[in-house]
Formats: sequence, structure tokens, C-alpha cells
Amino acid sequence: MRWSKAFLVFRKDLSEVARNWEVMAPMIVVPVIITVLIPALVTLVPDSMSGSMNSGNLLETIIPNLPEAVKQTLSGYPEAQQMIYIMLLYFFAPFFLIIPLMVSGVIASDSFAGEKERKTIEALLAAPLTDSELLMGKILVGFAPAMGVTLLSFTLYTVMVDALTLGRFGFLLLPNLTWLVMILCLAPAASLLGIGATVIISTRVKGFREAQQLSALLVVPVLALLLGQASGFLIMGPAVLVMLTILVLVVDAALFGVGISLFNRERILSQSH
Amino acid sequence: MESIVAENLTKRFNGFTAVDNLSFTVEQGEIFGLLGPNGAGKTTTIRMLASLIQPTEGDAYVGGFSVRDDALRVREIIGILTENPSLYERLSARENLEFFAKAYGVDEPKTRDARIRELLEFFDLWDRRGDRAGTFSKGMKQKLAIARALVHEPRTLYLDEPTSGLDPKSAKDIRDLMERLSQREGQTILLSTHRLEDAERLCDRVMIINHGGAVSVASPQELRQRATGAHVVRVGLRELTSSLSKAVEAAEGVKALDVKEGALSVTLADEGYTPGLVRSIVDAGGHIMYVVPLEVSLEDAYLKVIGGE
Repeated sequence: MRWSKAFLVFRKDLSEVARNWEVMAPMIVVPVIITVLIPALVTLVPDSMSGSMNSGNLLETIIPNLPEAVKQTLSGYPEAQQMIYIMLLYFFAPFFLIIPLMVSGVIASDSFAGEKERKTIEALLAAPLTDSELLMGKILVGFAPAMGVTLLSFTLYTVMVDALTLGRFGFLLLPNLTWLVMILCLAPAASLLGIGATVIISTRVKGFREAQQLSALLVVPVLALLLGQASGFLIMGPAVLVMLTILVLVVDAALFGVGISLFNRERILSQSH
Repeated sequence: MESIVAENLTKRFNGFTAVDNLSFTVEQGEIFGLLGPNGAGKTTTIRMLASLIQPTEGDAYVGGFSVRDDALRVREIIGILTENPSLYERLSARENLEFFAKAYGVDEPKTRDARIRELLEFFDLWDRRGDRAGTFSKGMKQKLAIARALVHEPRTLYLDEPTSGLDPKSAKDIRDLMERLSQREGQTILLSTHRLEDAERLCDRVMIINHGGAVSVASPQELRQRATGAHVVRVGLRELTSSLSKAVEAAEGVKALDVKEGALSVTLADEGYTPGLVRSIVDAGGHIMYVVPLEVSLEDAYLKVIGGE
């Protein structure tokens, strides 16, 4: 594979994506909600949040499953502050995985299904680029912005959380090991999951929106993680996150294996007309 | 030298035969027309010759490379104008050409920039080079798509309906360009078109295909002649007399004679009998005003070939 050709496809798709508001809007709005609005709501309106979320039950289910050091840290704080801590560092952690999944899914939908829909695919397939160069270029264009937005969002979230909670707790809540493992290990794996699933979906659908809607189903595992945490069944610590990363990478490998086998010029051309 | 050699090309889709055992050759520098009704298999043939899809049976060689085994090399040496302009509408005209120039290996920036400028100026798009292709008219998009096919100066060009959507002046510019590319620069052009006047003017030979198979391969002139089955000339005379008619009927090579609108319509076995015919009329004391060869149009010939298949 000639990497220069893969990067050529990557840069071309990136230029296209950056000019498409249907793609850019969710890439901006969702991270802003998750990184700015949520920590602001959780810390600035703790009483209303704790009331609405039935804080007593949430604390009772999550706290016993937390590591001892965290339990000791929390024991010295009132319930409202315990709630803020758990919400910001544990409860909303799975939400953060929506960012790499969503961004990579939306971009990959535009890159694969969108190119078919706009009937630009034939000239691209007629160019002297190998299947692996085309595929790698399109995977990169889903992966790189997804990780860029994820890292930027994490930085923003860290700054927001620390700025809003330093006065209450007297120390910086973020970054911590759990979040670093999540952002640096699980998020890239999740991003690849979004791309792999979208590659497969895109071979079956004709348009960008159809692909985007189907790839939105990828948030279901995230909701399962959320429920797992809320019920105390699965607390996302570093060890759990590493295991989840390995599991997701195995799924990624399977998805890409299927995706590559489905990446067939003839099939793609027959669907673009 | 042969630029394209197709050997028993066949393509089937789920049991449906789109192209059936097609064999033909195209010489270097030749403009070869692909004519046929919608669904005849023209686009499928072009796609196989561009190594976009694999033949079910048979093979073709473009510039000596097999479309089956050397797909990448085939795609490197051809330029293709697809059925749709296939332009990236969110990218500018220049960005579109830059991307494809790089994809086709025009890596030297000065050469690339000069080539892009040359093409955009030729197609009157230089002033709009920074505008998104999506803002262009249909004709401008078609011109940009042709520029894209030419950006790497390919030796072989596949053009699918190149003058479609163009105004008469632009269509003429494209026809002139094709002639120049073929005659001066020796580029081989495979032209798929419904515009028979384009085929008639440009093509050295045309292949009429229907139901995936070749119905006829010939020069436009040969096709017209085949359609009439003979050479017909119209002879205008100052005065038509019965003795003149008899002299014409008796002339060598005359197969039939008809009088239409005061002129003779003479069917000859071959155009080589025309001087003898003229001599016979003059010897019989006739005053010839004009002699015009009567030819059916390529459209008539095409319709006859397709209809009589």
C-alpha cells in the first residue's frame, strides 16, 4: 500500500467533510453538550440534579462498588458533593464514548455511503488507487477527526470539571487514570468500532442519512454501560476499561474483516446507480 | 499499433448477459465510436475496459495491459469521463483537478499546476477555479469532468457522452479538442455517444452494439453505404430527354435509374462508375449542371442496422 495515496484520499475527504454542515453540526453540538452543559448542570444545580436522579439510590448502588481509596475520599463529603463526584467521574463517563462513536460514524457515513449517493464514486474507483489505499484513506478520515474531537472534548471537559469543582473538593478531579485509559485506549477502539460498523452498513444502503441513522444504533452498547454503572453491576475502573478495550478491539477486527471482504468495486458501482 | 484489444469480452449480472462475446481492436490515435440504444451494454463495456469491473469471460488489453490481471496499470494509462460528471461538489474546480492529478501520479507541483491551468483556461473555467463545483452549471460541470479525464495526459481516453449538456459552442470546442488529441497527439479515444452527428464527424470507425453484442463495426461511410447497399448519385441536367435516359441506363455499373424533381437519381454498383456515367451523358449530348453523391445519414444507417438486426 502506498501511504501517500491513502493520505491523498484522507485529505480530500477531510476537505469535503469540513464543508458539510450536516456532518459538522453534530460533531460540534454533541461534544459541547457533553463537555460544557453536563458538568455545568451537575455542579451548578446539584440539588435539582440529585433530586431528579434519585441520588440516594444511585449513591447506594455505585459507592459500594467503587475502589476503597475512592470510598474513603468520598466519605468525608456531604451527599450532594458525593453525587457531583460520581456523576462527573463515573456516571457520565460512558456518555463520553458517544463522541468517538458518533463522530467516526457520521464521517464514515458521509465518506462511504455519501460518495455513492453523490455519484462521485465511479471516478474515484476508476483512479489508479488500490482497494487498500481507498479503504485506508476513508478509515483515516473517520478515525483522525473522531480522535481529535475526543481529545479536544476531554481537554475541555477536564478544564470545565476542574474549574467548577476545585473550590468544592480542594483538588483536581481530572485527569485520573480511569479517564486516561478511557480516552487513550477505549475511545480509539470505539472510534474504529464506529467506522467498521459504518463500512458494513454503507455497503448495504444507498445514502448518507440511511447509513448515519443505522450507525446511530451503536449508542446501544454505551447505554448498556450506563445502566451497568447505574446499577452498580459494572463500575468503569482502569482494569474494566482495559478489558472493554480488548473486547472492542476484537469486535473491530471482526467488523473490519467483514468490511474489507464487502469492499468490492463492482458491488459499490452497481449500488451507485 | 493496437491500443485496445478486446477478446470475447462477456459480462453477466445474475444470469443477465449485459455484454456478449465482444471482440474488437482500436488502433493508437483512432477515435472509435461505441453506438447503441440504452441498455445495449456500452457503459458495461467501458467499465470493463477501465478495469472497474471484471469480465465474466474473455479479456481485454489496454496499452498491452490486461484489464483482468493489470487493473492498476490499466487505470493509470487511461482517462475516463464517466456517465455522471462524478465531481466533488464541495471542492473547488482546482481542488477537483488537483486531487485527481495527484491520484494519477502527476506529482511534480509545477507540472501539475501548469497542466491544471492549461485545462481550466481551455475550458473557460480559470476565472471560476476557486468556486465549488456544486455552483457550476451542467455544461461547466461536464467541461470540468472532461478536464479531469485529461489532467494526466492519458494515451487512451474513454468518453461517455462528452458533449451531453453542452451548448453548441462548447460542444464544438470538445469535438475540436477530440480531433486535435487524436490527430496531433496520437491519443486513442473510445467515444460512447447517442449524438450520431458527433460520431459521424469524429469517429474513424464505429461499433454498433445491441443486446450486448456487436452488430456492426465499420467506418461511418461504410455503414452508410451498407445501409443503402449501393452508391447513389443525383445528376442535374439542363434538359432531360428519353435518349439521355436510355444512354444512362446503358452506362456501365448502373443498377437503377429514377427521375426525381427533374433530376436523375442513379444507383451505381460502386462509386468508381461515376466518371463513366458522366462520360456517357456528355457523349449522348447531355448538359450536366451538377453531380452530387446521395448518402443516407449515419442516423438512417444506424436505425437500419439496429432495426434490421
